[in-house]
This record gives sequence, C-alpha cells and structure tokens, in this order.
Amino acid sequence: MSRSDGTNKHPAYWRSLEELADSEAFRAQLAAEFPAEADVADDGGATGGGLNRRRFLQLMSASIAMAGLSGCRWPEETIVPFSERPAGYEPGVPRQFATTFELAGAVTGALVTSYDGRPIKVEGNPEHPGSLGAAGCFAQASVLELYDPDRSRGVARSASGRLTDASWDDFATFAAEHFAASAERRGRGFAVLSEGTRSPSVADLRERLLVAMPDARWYEYEALSRENELAGAEAAFGQPYRSILHLDRAHTIVDFAADLLHGHPEALRHARQFAAGRDPDHEMNRLYVFEAGYSPTGAMADHRIPLPQVKLPLAVKCLAAELFLTLGLAQRTGSESWAELLRPYLQHAECPEQIPALARDLLQHRGHGLIVAGPQFDAQTQALCHICNHALGNTGTTVELMPAGVTVGGSNRADSASVVPAGRRGFAGLRELAADMQQGRVDTLLILGGNPIYAAPADLEFAQALTRVKTSVHLATHRNETSLACTWHLPRAHALESWGDAFALDGTLSAVQPLVAPLWGGRSVAEVLSMITDTPGQSGHDITRRTFNRLDTGQDEVPVDSPAFEERWRRFLHDGYLSAADPPTTASDSWREIRLSAAADEGAHLDAQHFELVFCADAKVHDGRFANNAWLQELPDSVTKLTWDNAALMSPATADALGVAQNEMVRLDYQGRQLELPVNILPGHASFSISVALGYGRTAAGRVGNGVGFDTYRLRGSDAPWGGAGVTVTPTGTTYELASTQDHHAIDSRGFQERERRVGALIRQTDVEHYREHPDFAAHLGTHHPELVSMWTERESTEHRWGMTIDLNTCIGCNACLVACQAENNIPVVGKEQVLNNREMQWLRLDRYFHGEPDAPEVAYQPMACPHCEMAPCEQVCPVAATVHSDEGLNVMVYNRCVGTRYCSNNCPFKVRRFNFFNYQKDLTETQKMGYNPEVTVRGRGVMEKCTYCVQRIQNAKIKAKNEGRSVQDGEILPACGQTCPTEAIVFGDLNDPDSRVAKLQARQRAYRLLEYLNIKPRTAYLARIRNPNPEIAGGDAHGGHGGHDHDDHGHGSGGGDHG
Amino acid sequence: MASEKPDKAAESFVFPPWTNRLREIATGLAIGGLVYAVVLVALVFGPENSAVGYAPEQPVPYSHALHVGELGMDCRYCHVDVENTARANIPPTQTCMNCHATIKTESEKLAPVFQSDATGEAIPWIRVHDLPDYVFFNHSAHVTAGVGCVSCHGRIDRMDVVRQEEALTMGWCLDCHRSPEPHLRPHEFVTVMDWTAAGPAEELGAELRAAHNIDPSVDCSTCHR
Repeated sequence: MSRSDGTNKHPAYWRSLEELADSEAFRAQLAAEFPAEADVADDGGATGGGLNRRRFLQLMSASIAMAGLSGCRWPEETIVPFSERPAGYEPGVPRQFATTFELAGAVTGALVTSYDGRPIKVEGNPEHPGSLGAAGCFAQASVLELYDPDRSRGVARSASGRLTDASWDDFATFAAEHFAASAERRGRGFAVLSEGTRSPSVADLRERLLVAMPDARWYEYEALSRENELAGAEAAFGQPYRSILHLDRAHTIVDFAADLLHGHPEALRHARQFAAGRDPDHEMNRLYVFEAGYSPTGAMADHRIPLPQVKLPLAVKCLAAELFLTLGLAQRTGSESWAELLRPYLQHAECPEQIPALARDLLQHRGHGLIVAGPQFDAQTQALCHICNHALGNTGTTVELMPAGVTVGGSNRADSASVVPAGRRGFAGLRELAADMQQGRVDTLLILGGNPIYAAPADLEFAQALTRVKTSVHLATHRNETSLACTWHLPRAHALESWGDAFALDGTLSAVQPLVAPLWGGRSVAEVLSMITDTPGQSGHDITRRTFNRLDTGQDEVPVDSPAFEERWRRFLHDGYLSAADPPTTASDSWREIRLSAAADEGAHLDAQHFELVFCADAKVHDGRFANNAWLQELPDSVTKLTWDNAALMSPATADALGVAQNEMVRLDYQGRQLELPVNILPGHASFSISVALGYGRTAAGRVGNGVGFDTYRLRGSDAPWGGAGVTVTPTGTTYELASTQDHHAIDSRGFQERERRVGALIRQTDVEHYREHPDFAAHLGTHHPELVSMWTERESTEHRWGMTIDLNTCIGCNACLVACQAENNIPVVGKEQVLNNREMQWLRLDRYFHGEPDAPEVAYQPMACPHCEMAPCEQVCPVAATVHSDEGLNVMVYNRCVGTRYCSNNCPFKVRRFNFFNYQKDLTETQKMGYNPEVTVRGRGVMEKCTYCVQRIQNAKIKAKNEGRSVQDGEILPACGQTCPTEAIVFGDLNDPDSRVAKLQARQRAYRLLEYLNIKPRTAYLARIRNPNPEIAGGDAHGGHGGHDHDDHGHGSGGGDHG
Repeated sequence: MASEKPDKAAESFVFPPWTNRLREIATGLAIGGLVYAVVLVALVFGPENSAVGYAPEQPVPYSHALHVGELGMDCRYCHVDVENTARANIPPTQTCMNCHATIKTESEKLAPVFQSDATGEAIPWIRVHDLPDYVFFNHSAHVTAGVGCVSCHGRIDRMDVVRQEEALTMGWCLDCHRSPEPHLRPHEFVTVMDWTAAGPAEELGAELRAAHNIDPSVDCSTCHR
C-alpha cells in the first residue's frame, strides 16, 4: 500500500515523467537554476543571432557614455489638471466600477479598477451572485486585450481583395442604402451570424430586425457550443431548460467531463459552493469525475476515473442502469418498463468498476446528489443525467431548471420565445448557413463578433462559402481571419469601452458599462445593430437604458426627466446587477421516457491500434479568441504546464503503443483531414485517447498569437465536433520543442529517494477518515529534526505580522491567482524562447504534483510564491542588502539596490525569485503602458523580483486606516491572488491579531509550513489536503498512498524518518 | 657604466633625469583627478545642488507670495486632496475661475487660464517636486500626522515662483522618519507657514508623537514598492 517508504521504484509525488524517470534532462534542469546562462544572451531571435559578452559590453559602454551626456536632471514633467474637475474624482485615487464580462453567454460580474481614467485591473464583484468576488483568467486578462496594440483601429472595406481604410460615416451611408433595400425584400438573402450572447439589448434589437425583415435569418454560433445541454433538457422535460447547479447542496457530485469547477460557464460560483463542502471538520462532499483529459475538476476529484470520451455516454447508461434496475429507482418512479431499456447496460463489460458503489452513494444521498455531463455529449446522455437527477430527487435541490434563452419584456422578464430557434444555433445552424451561402441564397451576411473562418468546422468550408456572399460585414475587435475575407470590417468596442447588459443563467440582469471611451473608435454589437434597425442609430447608452426601462417597467420609451427611473438606473450601474424577479422554475414532476440508442462511437473498440480523438476547450485561449493575449499564452496550463502551444495529449500507455516520446511530432488523420502536431504525454489521460485543444495556430490574431501552436479546427468536422473514434496516428520522426514549465523551479532535493520523501513533506494530504482519527497528521508528515537553533537574531514584529495561508483542500488550480498577480504587479511576459530557458516571470506559480501510478495518478496543486520567511536565506547572501526584512516581517526586495548577482535566488529553497534577464518592458507601445498599475514599480533589466505580499495594498490600507485614526481591520488587505481566488483558498492577514482569519487558520492542526527543518520560518502556511474517498471503492492507489495510512504510528514510520 | 664615457649616439636613447618624476606626477594627477571627479559629482551634481533651487517658469506666472503670503489663502483652498490622497493635486482651472471670473478679467498673464476655461484644455503646469518613479510618497499620511507643509516645501508664502527648497533625497526623508519630533505640529497648524511652537519644538513633537501614535517606518517598503 505504501509508496512512500523509499523502497518502491516510483516516488509518491512527481512533477513530470522526466522526474519520475530521473532523466538526465531533469537533473540538468535541477542543477542549473536558470539553465541558459546570460553570458551568451539569447535575445529570443529578435536580431537573428545571439549576443555574446564582448558585444554586450561594447553596447553597454556606448549606452553609458551617451547617458552621461543627457544631463543631470531627468526630463521635465508636466501636470495637467482638468479644466473642470468631474465631481467625486480625485487624481491618483483608484476607483472601482461594476461591469460585466460576457463570454459566449457566460457572465462574470466584475469590479474594474480605474486609475485616472485607465482601467487597470479586473476583480470579481463580491455582490454579484455569479462571481461572488472572484474573476476567472479571461475576465482578468481582458485588461491586456483592451490595450492590445493589434486591435483594429478603424473601419475598413475590401477593394480587390485588400482591406482599405474607411470611416464609420462611409459605413453608415452604405448601411442606410443597403439595408433599406434589404428591408424592401423583407430581408430575403440577409443573414446574421452572431456569437452566443445573453444580452437582452441584443435580443431586443434582433426582434426589431426580424420584425422589419421577417425573411432574414439569424444564426448563432459558438465553437464551444453548449447546445447539447438544451437539447438534453428538452428531451427529458419537453423544454430546453438550463440547469442551475447548487454544489453547496450536493453531497455526491458526479461529473462526466463537465469540468464543473473550471471550464463551466458558472465555474466561479460552483467553485465557491464546492469549497464550502470541503471543510474536513464538517461533513464533506464527494466528487467523482469521469473524463478523458485531465481537468482541474478531475484534480479535485475524490475518485477520478480516466475513460475515453466515446465511452463516457456508456458510463452514464451504466450508472442509470445500476440506479434504476439494481437499486430500485424503476419501482420507485413507476418506470419499470422503460427501465428495461437500460438492461443491456447493467454490468456491461465496459462499465467502470466504480459504478455500483457510486450508484449506492447517490441513492444514499438522495436529494443531495448531482449528475452532470459535459456539453460535448449528445442529448440522450444529457437527458439521462436529468432523468437520474429527477428520479433521485435532486431536481429542485441541487439542480434547478431555468427557461433557456434571453428573457425580455414585461416585469416578469420571462419570454423564452426570444431565443434563436434551435435549428439556427450551434453546429446545425452553421451548417445550414454555410449550405445557403454555398448555394448563393445569402447575398448579405452580417457577422457580429466571432471568427467563423477560423473557428468553423473544417468540413463546412466556410471561407469558400463566404466568397459567394456579395456583401459581408464583420464586426470584431481585431482584423482577424474572417475580417480579411469580408467586404466590410467594423472595429468592435471592447467590453470595457461599451454599454450593454447580459443575463446570467439564473436570470440576474448584469450591467456592462464603459470604463473608458473607445480607444480606436469601436462600436458594440448593439450599436451596429441599431444602425440597421433604428433611424437614426442609437448610442449604446441609450439602447441599454431603453432595455433596462423595458425590463424594469414594461414601457418602451425611456421616461424623460424621471428621477425615479434615474435612481433605479444609477442603482443598477452602481451594483452592477439586478436580481432576478422570479425564482428559478423547476421542471414539471414528470420526465419523458426517452428512447435509448447507442451514442456515436459508443461501441468503438479502442486499443493499441485504435484511438479516439477528443477536441477540447483550451483553458487559456478559449476557442482561440484570446490567442493574442500574452498573459494567457504564457500562463502554464493547470495540468499540462504547457505555455505558448497546444499539443496532442496522450497517456504514457498510448505513447508507448505508438512508440512516440514527448515532443515528437505525430500526424493525426481524422475523417480524411490531417494535422501534424507534437506529443505531450499527460499521465492520467485516458488511454488510447488523444485530446487536442482548440484555439491555436491562428494566422491573423496579431503579433502575439500568430503561428502559436497548431490549428486543430482543421481536423474538426461539424458532424463530430467533439471528436470520436477512428483517428489514425502516425509518428513523423521529427521533433518540436514544447515550452512546458513542469520541471521549472523544482524545489531541490538530494537525489531520488530524498526527493520522494520531501515532496511528501511539501504536499501533505490524507483522507478524511484518517484525518478524523489523527487531526494532527500534517505535523507528523514533516521531516523530523533536532531542536532548531537560530544562527541569527530574530526580528520581532510588534505591530503587524503579515502572514498567509493557502488551503490545498480548496485550491482547484484554476490559475486565476496567477493572472491577478500578473496584472497587479506589472509582471512582464517573456515569450516562448525565454520560457524554454526557465525565465518565466510569474511571481506565483502553481506547482502541480502527480501522485501514484503514471496511468491514473492523482493531482495535487500547490500555489507557490515567496512565503516571506522570517529567517530568509535570500537576505543572508545578498551582498548589497537589496533584499531585507521589514518590521512587519515582509521580505522586501529593493530594486534600486539590486545589482543582479542572483545569489538570493540560488539560496532560495522555494525557487520563487525571478530575474529580469532583459528589459522586457522596453518595447511596449504607449497604449500597453496604460495598463500598468501605477502603484507598483516597473522593473528593468538585471533586477531580481518576487512576491511582495502586494505591499502596495498593505501600505495603502495602512495609510487609509491611519488617516481615519483606526487600525487596519482583518480582511481589509486582500492581496491580488487572495482577492480573486474563487474558493477563498488564499487568506492573508495579521498574525499578531489572534482573531484574524489567517491567525485562526494557521492555528488549525491542518496547517503546516514548508521545509521547516531549515529553520527559515516561512510566513505562508499551507493547510493539508483532505480527500473524501468512498470507502466502498477500494483501489490501493486511490487512497492508500496519501501518506496517511503510512503514519498510523504517528509519523515515525517510513515517510518521516529523517532523524538526522 | 659610470667610469666609461657613454657614447653620444647611445645617450640620446636614455630618458633625461626629470622623467624620473613623471611617475609621481602621473600618479598624483590620477588620484587628484579621481578625487576631483568624486567631489565634483558629489557636490555639484548632487541633488542638494542640482535639485534645490529648481524653479521652472510656469505657463501662468502664478505667485504663491501674492495668494498665500499677501491674501492669506489656505493651501487647501486649491490643493483640496492633500489631506485625503497621495497627491496634493494641482487645482483645476475651475478653481482659478472661482475668483478670476470677476477679478483681473483682462489680465494678459491670466490668458492661459481664461483660454483653458473657455476650451476645456488643461494648463500644462511644470512639476517642481519630482520624486523618482520608484518612490511612492503620500501627502495625506504626512499631513494627517502633523507634518507642516513648510517642512518640505519651505516658505511657499514668500515665493513668487515656486522653487524646490529641500533636496528630497532619501537621506533627507530618513532624517525625519528617524526623528520626526522637530517637524510635528498640531494638526490645525499644518498649513500655517510661519507657525512656531510656543516652547521647545522637540518637546511638543514628542508629546504629539505619543498622543497620535506616530511611528514612521524606515523600512524600504514604506516608500518603495
């Protein structure tokens, strides 16, 4: 059972297969902290060749000589006060405004910090029911998108295949004439292709447009369509309901590749609710995940069962069969005859062995279970999940059903008739549109956002179809692949530049308000539609007010000079949302007895010669729309740790079967389409399954995103958009370098056995039963050491003693903290070449450890930033006192003293210090500089930097409190990472205040500090992770190897036996 | 060697005796030059000399001597944010116009003000007290603690053209952070330019420091982030 006794061939915890095998490459990586040395400074290919030390010194001396001539005083600065200062505005004081980010119909309520009129930081709106104070990576990184120098800067029209600049007036003139003519033909030949949106203003304008042009067609397409969910609900209940999931009410959660905590549109709320049920001192929920790839939700699972995607519908049927036939749900619901349809799936040979125990768990927690399948599964699978939930009494408690679509009109805000018809949404809709275009039935196509030429399934040949459309108008933030093929390109206003609104799934109306006037004259979707439907076109502000008024009062006209309306409107903008008037509707008490048939490729045989292909959403670029966002591109994926690329992900067994190794190129041949891409071996991936992320290989994304990764849309077909069996994989014999950070900044250890033992001490976890018997287990998992004697005089922190806790039990590995840190602290992006050199700059990294056998390991996350050691080893070796200790216990980095010896980083056991090998911020455009946080110094070349505990926030809160004559309150200071954490896993505060949250958490028995035996006394403590496996499901590895059971003798056993 | 007469041709290749001192001279010059350079940089180019006295010409010849010294306006009439925010704001044109809408409406010197008021364009004032970008100074913290404006800005009420009075070096900041007593005054007198303590300033300062729990930090992170 034990695999941490040092005698097994595999270590208990490992970060990569290289480490597991202890390869030469890994050892070299560990030995050289920044492996590529600066004396042959590679400038990342910017000048072609490298830059040797001699040339470098020449350049340096020349630039110093020139600097000497430029005088002794820095350039004159001007201060430009307003002529008339807006009421309530104070220069240099950050203000927050509530707004909303909508991504394919998913809504994040946000508070955006504006500094002197420049939006610089996105945080979740704590009051918004959908975000609860958290914001995901996409919403946070949208600040960078706003200032992206590659954004479209004006209207363009196509003349002889090239875009030439035009103006909005040109388009208005054209539109007035063109669309008037369309209206005369009742809109025949006119089609609109929209992104998925839940904006009532857009829905309203759509209705107006369709009234004026009844023969026009409106299509809605998202590459990551969630149509199947609606179709499933319709099959089960006769209505296309959307599910509102309440994970806080659920005890047993079954996730069939739905990625509830990370990829789901409501992931932020789910994560918070899930975390609420993970306190091991109370009753814990239990999460089962069945999936092919490895999602962050899978990493949180108590039982994760890797299964090829084509086998997942079968697993759902197995579960239903078990529930209805073995456990008697059929009798209970009076559906015996229907349940017989499930008979073939009872104890089916391909049923996962965990299903019976899982079914019993669900039955035992009737009404508190939850079964969800991801949007990639067909309607029947979705419906079956609904039926199981309903039969178990979960519907109404853990699952609430809401009418789908945007609800407009009347005070009840419910009018599902305003939804785009099912046949015109998703892949079916796009297929119809492409066919119409091919046959010349579309003469005018208006594309509102999106990038269909890039993101349409390859078999539709959308680009070719578009050439047959006489007039095509594309509204987009960038001149992307689709813009270049259209006759008109219109610049789209960014979410932070436009007025708008959006319904959250639960019916909360969320406000979108601009923080800044459009930088490049963009207009919103609603404004462009209004140019067509209203005469004259309305401003976004007026449209949004009109819709708000209609939703609020049912009246069409916005009242003039109505103080009551203005008050409600201002309240709406201030709060950022208006709660749903109606409680969510639950479904009728009956479900339909759906027909059962085999799902696509359900019976496919997968083995070492037969593989399946899975298309999955990317956690960083979504469907490709964020490809030009450098923060996201450089963000290491939570599980694969890949940056700047996508790859063919496969399990070690699959790679063995194919005879390929990491970074080797393979050719995938699927449905007659081919693509070559590199292999990334992902332990825990379902075997004989290969998953590829969508959204890479863009050709017109911009300077960041062009040519990054591989365009997997070229493999995708509209009939099997999520993949299926029957992919042929051929190694090509060539290799490709993937920039993965998985072995970077590995916390050092002496040799293989040592590493195994120590990582166990870094990540401490056990299962809940063991925890309840031994609540102090975490202390015993550490290295045993003699009494520690300090060589140094310790500093006392009398007033404040800042500290942090990170709860490994609720850290879901969503990466939101990394993006928050990057935005808050002006952290540069370094590019793929520099990432390959270990030079990524993120102050906070998310260590991902595998645990167990390589084919089905568990994953444990550990966010790692500078833990502000009280006896910091870095401080002891700095020759110039550039890193010193503050009175409050902060380990402070003084950039201006730093001479770049990097001794501190060498001596840091946690490897959390980052060095500026280049002046990464030098070549930024003026607009990009607008996104900087003015509260934080921008670092230059040759300077070390690291987590400061967001010292700027500490100082500002302290000054505020002092000015008000009070002391800093607990919770007043939120570092950027802790502020945005969806599960509140990161808590910061004053350890000198015994009532502070952080002090109480650090006093818990689960709390432990890393590398305690070095006597460095880190201020950041971790709370050990407690899993809640089902005792009925054995599985030696699934819960045996946490170290917990090895330490029944209170830790003096194998795992902690270093007596020195 | 000495007994033999050197031959004339060979003698011309021997350095003359005075060159023996060349080494000393060269060493002296090198050391002297180095000292000179250090002294020059330290004394002449140091902030005490290069920054103190900096008094750029402003787009509007606004006189603090007139407005503060003669007319007795309080600093906070224009610099409204100084007690609440990091910056002591430069007033908007609007503030000037509160009076100048009716006073000196024909003045040529005020032309930029009237123009700004009419067009909404800002007046580009030139920054006098310019701290390096890696220094994060907060006015409100100092004003609330009872540090008088005059401590850092000098007798503004006597300046026709605002000039930098203090060096604003880190050492200068730290002097006060280490022993703030001589610079503390009751909060109500913060903006009074000619205030002096009734008794010894140090004693009052010590009282105020204790009463208001004023404990200026000398940690790097106090000002550098």
